[in-house]
Amino acid sequence: MTVDALSSVCNLGVLDSLSEASISEILQSWNSFCLITETIVKGDDTNLATSYSKFQSYVSSLCKYGLRSLVEEHFLLSLQDMLEKHCAPRFWSNFDAYNNVPDPETDDGNMHEDEVELLLCKALEGISSEKQYQEKCILMLVNSLLLCQENDTSIGHPFDMEKIFFSKYRLIVSSVLMTTMPRQFTAINMFIEILHWYFKGRLEELSTIMAGDYEDNNESQDNNQPSNMDIDGAYDQKKTLENKLVRNIGMVVHNLRNLGFTSMTEDAYASTIFLLLKAKVYDLAGDDYRTSVLESIKGWIQAVPLQFLHALLDYLGDFMSYLSPESTKSPLASTPSSCYQKSGKPSEGIIRWQLRLEYFAYETLQDLRIAKLFEIIVDYPDSAPAIEDLKQCLEYTGQHSKLVDSFISALRYRLLTAGASTNDILHQYVSTIKALRTIDPAGVFLEAVGEPIRDYLRGRKDTIKCIVTMLTDGTGGNNSGPGNGDSLLEELNRDEENQESNSLDDDINTDDKQTWIDIQRWEPDPVEADPLKGSRYRRKVDVLGMIVSIIGSKDQLINEYRVMLAEKLLNKTDYDIDTEIRTLELLKIHFGESSMQKCEIMLNDLIDSKRTNTNVKATINQLSQTGAESREHGASFDILGATIISSNFWPPIQDEDVKIPEHVDQLLSDYAKRFHEIKTPRKLLWKKNLGTVKLELEFEGKTLQFTVTPVHASIIMQFQDQKSWTSKNLAAAIGVPVDTLQRRMNFWISKGIVAESAGGDSNDHLYTLVDDMADGGKSITNNEVSMADDDAETSVASVEDQLRQEMAVYEKFITAMLTNVGSMKLDRIHNSLKIFCATPPVYDKSIQQLQSFLSGLVAEEKLELRDGTYYIKKNNKL
Amino acid sequence: MLSVMYRWHAVASWTWDAHDETCGICRMAFDGCCTDCKLPGDDCPLIWGACNHAFHLHCILKWVNSQTSQAHCPMCRREWQFKE
Repeated sequence: MTVDALSSVCNLGVLDSLSEASISEILQSWNSFCLITETIVKGDDTNLATSYSKFQSYVSSLCKYGLRSLVEEHFLLSLQDMLEKHCAPRFWSNFDAYNNVPDPETDDGNMHEDEVELLLCKALEGISSEKQYQEKCILMLVNSLLLCQENDTSIGHPFDMEKIFFSKYRLIVSSVLMTTMPRQFTAINMFIEILHWYFKGRLEELSTIMAGDYEDNNESQDNNQPSNMDIDGAYDQKKTLENKLVRNIGMVVHNLRNLGFTSMTEDAYASTIFLLLKAKVYDLAGDDYRTSVLESIKGWIQAVPLQFLHALLDYLGDFMSYLSPESTKSPLASTPSSCYQKSGKPSEGIIRWQLRLEYFAYETLQDLRIAKLFEIIVDYPDSAPAIEDLKQCLEYTGQHSKLVDSFISALRYRLLTAGASTNDILHQYVSTIKALRTIDPAGVFLEAVGEPIRDYLRGRKDTIKCIVTMLTDGTGGNNSGPGNGDSLLEELNRDEENQESNSLDDDINTDDKQTWIDIQRWEPDPVEADPLKGSRYRRKVDVLGMIVSIIGSKDQLINEYRVMLAEKLLNKTDYDIDTEIRTLELLKIHFGESSMQKCEIMLNDLIDSKRTNTNVKATINQLSQTGAESREHGASFDILGATIISSNFWPPIQDEDVKIPEHVDQLLSDYAKRFHEIKTPRKLLWKKNLGTVKLELEFEGKTLQFTVTPVHASIIMQFQDQKSWTSKNLAAAIGVPVDTLQRRMNFWISKGIVAESAGGDSNDHLYTLVDDMADGGKSITNNEVSMADDDAETSVASVEDQLRQEMAVYEKFITAMLTNVGSMKLDRIHNSLKIFCATPPVYDKSIQQLQSFLSGLVAEEKLELRDGTYYIKKNNKL
Repeated sequence: MLSVMYRWHAVASWTWDAHDETCGICRMAFDGCCTDCKLPGDDCPLIWGACNHAFHLHCILKWVNSQTSQAHCPMCRREWQFKE
């Protein structure tokens, strides 16, 4: 240092007044000051007391000449120099060993936790003691400065001065440490990594200590109140262990913060806690959806990380200064919930941490569950706890749209594929409705999720049939399912009854009160709600409604049900319709009595048939006993039963002419005569191809039982008198076309009763009764009833057939329109038909029906469909 | 030799055999029921007049009761008499 340098710093006015003597004094003091500063800073501590008094005198003499700032600056500079040259390198050299490890995470063996812990502690202690010494030095300076300014009041409060020095010093320390950090690219990462390792190790240790604790005292989670618990030796031991651990950690954190690594430290332990929490959530949640894990996760948060933080913050003491950077970091912490603050017991910092951690846990669990939502819904009723968890998580995080997106893509990928059976899709749909109803009672997300499923199902032909089966037939829906035998409809009804009984309590209230309750219950639609759709109809998620919406209208569903019911009823021989009546009653509740009118008449027909049947038979038997009819003939009436239908109310029934055996025919006409007598003037028209015949074929010493259609029965009965028939003759005898006969014949051939051989004519086959049942017998051991519905012959025209017949009228209109216009879209065809076909035949079909009809025409290559537009199919042959 | 034992369950539909499709009054099918009835058959029988025109019993009764003087057959305007 020279005078020139001094003059640049000092006030020039003062310079003028300096005498030669003063200058020399200044120079002397300065030199000595520099020397002594050096020794002090170097920490040759042996004669600190003596050097302190000397130091003081030099400082005061320099201050006298107004060189105070110079003194301060030099002192701090030399401290910094010391730090840079010695302390910092020594600190960093501790970690040198780990600098060369390329990837510490994969290489566990190189970093033992204990080693890390020891190393970190050692390094921190070393640098901390050096820092403490330097702080002492600063205090020395401050004291000296204070002494020489006692008569000078212009300088601020002594305490302020100390504070200023220390803050300056802290800045120096952290900047020096940062700048002296080894130059390698990974150095800083390494250090952070080491911190992570350290905290992870400590937290895990704590976690195991706590885990025991937590399991022991599942209820009382606040371990800081030992007075509430049984204090026994083990607990105390645990407690002290824990305290020691926390003190260790606290020490480390304290040291780190003093060195200016505050934010790095916080990041380190925060991310460690989060990692640990995440691992815990994954561990607890796993793939088990049968239990609720949210509570135990919350419990764990209380028990481990919060305890750790609590202890840590307690140790560090100053919450507020600690929290100030925190509140800017975390969005959640900046809005602390007021109700938590009121409770007041835990500090604000802990509460913020708790909120942060819980939010994180919710989010993690939510993500986990959403990713697995498909599986969860597959085993829905069992996985209800998982759904409940997810609901709570979503309430907290509000990330419903994530759920919708992820679930829809899962659906598309896993469910809505050609390989999935319609039944499975429907079951998943129903489970989805039920599950999502819990999460979101307003059904907004359900709407979004359900749409792709509905769209897909509309494209499947057997959807309606499957729905009806599922609704009405408990076992028919999903055989692999729980198989409780209840139909979906009954289940729905049960739910409804439960709901009604709940709401019954409300009805007791006066109307005003009810309204008030309703108002209080009101909640706005979620933000994601589609504003185009009114919110009112969403209020209640109606499973049946959602199912019907797949089809489009309830009429189609009812129609399909009617066809199925007709099929079922026509095949009944015992008039037992209890289950059908119950199903119908349930359907009536949902669809209204008038819609089910026809079905009711059908069931009624069965009941009437039973009565009439008994009546007719009783009177005929009476007649035969008294009258002229042969005894044998009368007795055979016992073998006859009849279902008498009101054909106007049944779906169109397939009429096929068949000549049944003569004596049966005779019985039928007697029966009809009797009916006419009882119910004058009503008459019976037999539908001879319909019904069921239970056969018992008796060969030599062997009987076989079959349940078949009248046609099959007529065929086999022809073989009673004649052992072999040509197909032409047999067809004539039965009164059916040859090809039909051949189709029917296959049944008997497959059963091994009749053998087929080529006849004289190439078109004529010869059917011969298989006499030798000895070898045939082993292949036909089934004495049980087997139904001859092999070629899916149904007695009732299917809905599609009906529709095709009804739509056939419009085919001409459609082709004419398309020829004139060239191309039309579906809705335009629909609207045009509505306009042009106002006179009978009035066009009254829905757009879905039209679509399926048109796709039939496309399949027949009459029309062409490109990009949703229909064209007349050009003749490809040209 | 084959011998067959059987129980035959046949299916038939009934009809009023009215030689016409629909009731002239309610325009509903004879084999259906009148507009007021829910169940066809015994619950909603047909009745023939002396002129051999048939109607649902309920329909013609309503008609007959609504006439102040002697009722006529809605189809042929002859005096309405129930057929014996």
